[in-house]
Amino acid sequence: MNWKGNIIILMVLSIITSPLFAYEAFAQGRDEQIEELKQMMEKMQDKIEDLEEDNKVLKQQVKELKNEKETITVEQTGRTEEKKSATVEETEGAEEETEVVTEVAPPQQPGFLGRVAQSLNPDISVIGIFAGAWYSRNDPYVFAEDDPQQTGVDLQELELAFQSVVDPYFRFDTFLSFKQDGVEVEEAYGTSLFSMPLNTQLRMGRMRAKFGRINQIHTHAQNFVTLPLVAAEFLGEHLNPTSIEVDFLIPVPWYMELSALGGSPDVETPTFATDEENANNLAYLLYVFHLANFFEVSDSLGLSLGASFATGSNGTGSKERSNLYGADMYAKYRPLRNSQYTEIGLQSEFMWRQADTPEEKLEDYGFYTEGIYRFAKRWNTGIRFGLTDTNTPVASEDGGGEQISASSSNLVSNRAINPGETLGLPGRAYRLSPMLTFRPSEFSQFRLEYDYLNQDYAGNQHAIFLQFQYAIGAHGAHPY
Amino acid sequence: MKLYKSIQYLTLCIILAVFVMLFTGADALAKIRIVTSLPDFAAIAKEIGGNKVDVEALAKGYQDPHFVDAKPIYVTKLNRADVLIYNGLDLEIGWLPPLVTGARNSKIATLNASGNVDASSYIKTLLELPTTRIDRSMGDIHPRGNPHYLLDPRNGISVAGGIAARLSEIDPENASYYEENYKKFAETLKSKIEKWEAELARYRGTEIVTYHKLWSYFTEWAGLKVMGTIEPKPGIPPSPSHVADLIKDMEAEHVRLIIAANYYPEKTAKLIAEKAGTTFLSLPASVEGRNGIKTYSDLFDVIVSEIASALKEQTGAASDHLSHNGG
Repeated sequence: MNWKGNIIILMVLSIITSPLFAYEAFAQGRDEQIEELKQMMEKMQDKIEDLEEDNKVLKQQVKELKNEKETITVEQTGRTEEKKSATVEETEGAEEETEVVTEVAPPQQPGFLGRVAQSLNPDISVIGIFAGAWYSRNDPYVFAEDDPQQTGVDLQELELAFQSVVDPYFRFDTFLSFKQDGVEVEEAYGTSLFSMPLNTQLRMGRMRAKFGRINQIHTHAQNFVTLPLVAAEFLGEHLNPTSIEVDFLIPVPWYMELSALGGSPDVETPTFATDEENANNLAYLLYVFHLANFFEVSDSLGLSLGASFATGSNGTGSKERSNLYGADMYAKYRPLRNSQYTEIGLQSEFMWRQADTPEEKLEDYGFYTEGIYRFAKRWNTGIRFGLTDTNTPVASEDGGGEQISASSSNLVSNRAINPGETLGLPGRAYRLSPMLTFRPSEFSQFRLEYDYLNQDYAGNQHAIFLQFQYAIGAHGAHPY
Repeated sequence: MKLYKSIQYLTLCIILAVFVMLFTGADALAKIRIVTSLPDFAAIAKEIGGNKVDVEALAKGYQDPHFVDAKPIYVTKLNRADVLIYNGLDLEIGWLPPLVTGARNSKIATLNASGNVDASSYIKTLLELPTTRIDRSMGDIHPRGNPHYLLDPRNGISVAGGIAARLSEIDPENASYYEENYKKFAETLKSKIEKWEAELARYRGTEIVTYHKLWSYFTEWAGLKVMGTIEPKPGIPPSPSHVADLIKDMEAEHVRLIIAANYYPEKTAKLIAEKAGTTFLSLPASVEGRNGIKTYSDLFDVIVSEIASALKEQTGAASDHLSHNGG
C-alpha cells in the first residue's frame, strides 16, 4: 500500500511540477531569444521611421498635386483620393509592414462617403399619412378616397416618390400612392428641360392635371385632413388622366402660363368617363386648359389668379359631354422684414359644372375658401368653408324617405361603372373645418381638425380627426 | 467726278456708321443675364461682370436662404437667364429645383449646362463633412457639408475666380475684362482680409455662442471658437432645458458674445444673453442683409467691426470688473 501511495503522490507531484520543469528546461534558451527579439524590434523601429518619412513625402506630394488644381469638382476630388489610396497600396505592396502604413495614412472617410453618395439612383422619398377619426354617424358620409373612412385609425395614403433627371432633355417624376384598397399610379410623367420656341414645356405621362390649385397639390401638402367638397365631387380624388400637356410661358412682365392637356379619362372621375360608343372620336377625349398668373404685389405679398376649363365625355350616354369651369385665387402674405415665420395664406376656388345626360341637363357649382395663419415656426392654424350646390337636384325633397348624401356612391362615384346612373348632386351641402397643425420638424406633422357637415337631404355630421404624417428620404421641394 | 467721289465717301461713312450702330446695339443687347439664388453671388457677379452683365438675385438678403418661397415669378426670371449661380450643398433644395425645371431653359437646366454654376464646386475645403453615418435625428443636416461657406471671405475669392472663369467660357470675347475684374476683386479683398484679420487678431480663441451652425466658416477664419449653439440641432428650435444648460455652460466658460443672423428670432437669444451676462449681436449674414450693405466686402466690414467692438467692450468691462474686485 505504501509504495502504491508513494507512486501516486509522485505522479501527482510530477504532473503539478511538469510545467515548472519544462520552464526550467527552456530557461536557458529564453535569454538568447530575448536578445534576438530585441534586435528584431530595433530593426523594425528603424524601418518604421523610414516608412513614416517616406509617407510624409508622399503626402506632401499629394497635397502639392491638389493645390495645383484650383478648381476641384466633386468627381475630381474622388479621383485624387483614389490616386492617393492607390499610392498607399503600392507602398504597402513594396514593404511588408502593412499595419504601420495604414496607421499613418488611413483612407479618408469624406472621400469614401462622397463616392458612395455619387450614385445615379433617383431621389427616393416615402410619406405616410395616417388619421385617427371619430364620426358622429355609424356609416359616415365620406367624399374622397383619401379622407378617413370611418371611426378608428386609418391609413390615408402612403406616397412613394422616385424622381430624377433622365438625360439632358427630360426629367421623370413618379409618385405611387398606396391606400387601404390598393395602389394607384398617382403621377408618373416626364418633363422637358430643353428650350423650345414660344417657351414651351412638355409633360407626358400620368399627372395631376393643371386644373385650379388643389388638384395639383399632393395630399401630404394640403392644408386640411379632408379634401374640399367641391374637389371631391367634381374632380374625384384628383383629376390625373394619362395625357400629354403643353405649357406655354407667356412673355409678359408678370408670370403667366397657359397649359393645354389632352388625354384619356382612364381614371374614374365623377365628371368625366370614357364614352364607350364613341371611343374612337378624338373630340370625346378629355381636354383641360389652364391659365395661371402670378403677381408680385410687393416683397411680402404675392397673388395668384387662375382660370381653368375641362371638357370631355361623361359616359352617361352616347355623345354626352361634361364641361367644368374653374377659377382659383391664392394670396400669400409673408412680412419677412418683421418675422421669418409669420405667414398668412388665403386660398379659394370656384367650380361650375354643366353636364349633359340622356334625361336632363345638369348644372351645379361649388367652392371652398380657406385661410391659414402660421403664427410660429412650427405652428399654423386655419379654417375652411366649402359648399356644393345644384340647380337641378337629382333627388327631390321627398327622396323616398331615404337619406341621400352627395357622397352616396350610386350618385357619383360608381356612375361610370353603372352607366345610366344619374350624374349630379342631391342638393346643397356645406362643411366648416377649423384645424391646428404642429410640425416638430420639416419631416413630421400632427394635425387636429373638426369637420361640421350639413346636407340638404341627409342632415348633419360631426367629425374629429387627428392626422399624423412622416416623410423620409430625399428632401422635397415646397410648393408655393 | 468730285461729286461722285464725295457720294462714295458718304455712302461708305453711312455704312460704317450703321455697322457701328448695329454692333454697339448688338453689344448692348448681348449683356449676359445672370440670376443668382442669393444676393451675395449677385454682388460678386456684379463686380466680376461689370457693365457686361445684368445681375438679379432671387432671395432677399434679410431672408433665411433655407426657406425661400418658390414664387412663380422666379420661373419667368430663370427662363430669361443665361447664367444661374447658386450656393449648392443642398442649401436651396427646398425651393430652387422646381423653379429651374419650370424655367424651360437649356442653358441652366442641367448640372453640366453652360450656365449652371454650383458655386460650392469652387470651395477647396468644406467644413462639417460628415465622416460617420448620419440621419435626420441630428436635425436638418446637410449631408454634403456645411453650406454657409461664403461667410469666410477667402471663399469669396474662390467663388469670384470660378465666376470669372465661367463668364470667360460663355463670353470669350470679354475674357480679359473678366480676368482683370477678378484680379481687382481678389486684390482688394485680400488687403481687406488682412485688415479684418488684424482687427480680430486680439480675440483669437475667444469662445462665442451662435444661433445656427451658420458661422462655422466665419469662426474658423476669424479664429473664434463656437462653444455652443442656441439651436440644439440644426433647424430644431431651442427647448427650455437646452437653454438652461447652455446658460450654465456659458457662465462656466465665461462666454462673452452671442451672434445670430438677423433673420433668426431674437427673443431666446436676448434672454440667454441677459441671463449669462453677455452681449447679443444680431448680424447681417448676407449682402443686403441690412440697408447699406451693397458689396461682399461691405458685409464683412459690418460683421467684423461689430464683433470686434462688442468683444472690446466686453473685455473692457471684464477687466474693469476684475480691477474693481482687486481694489
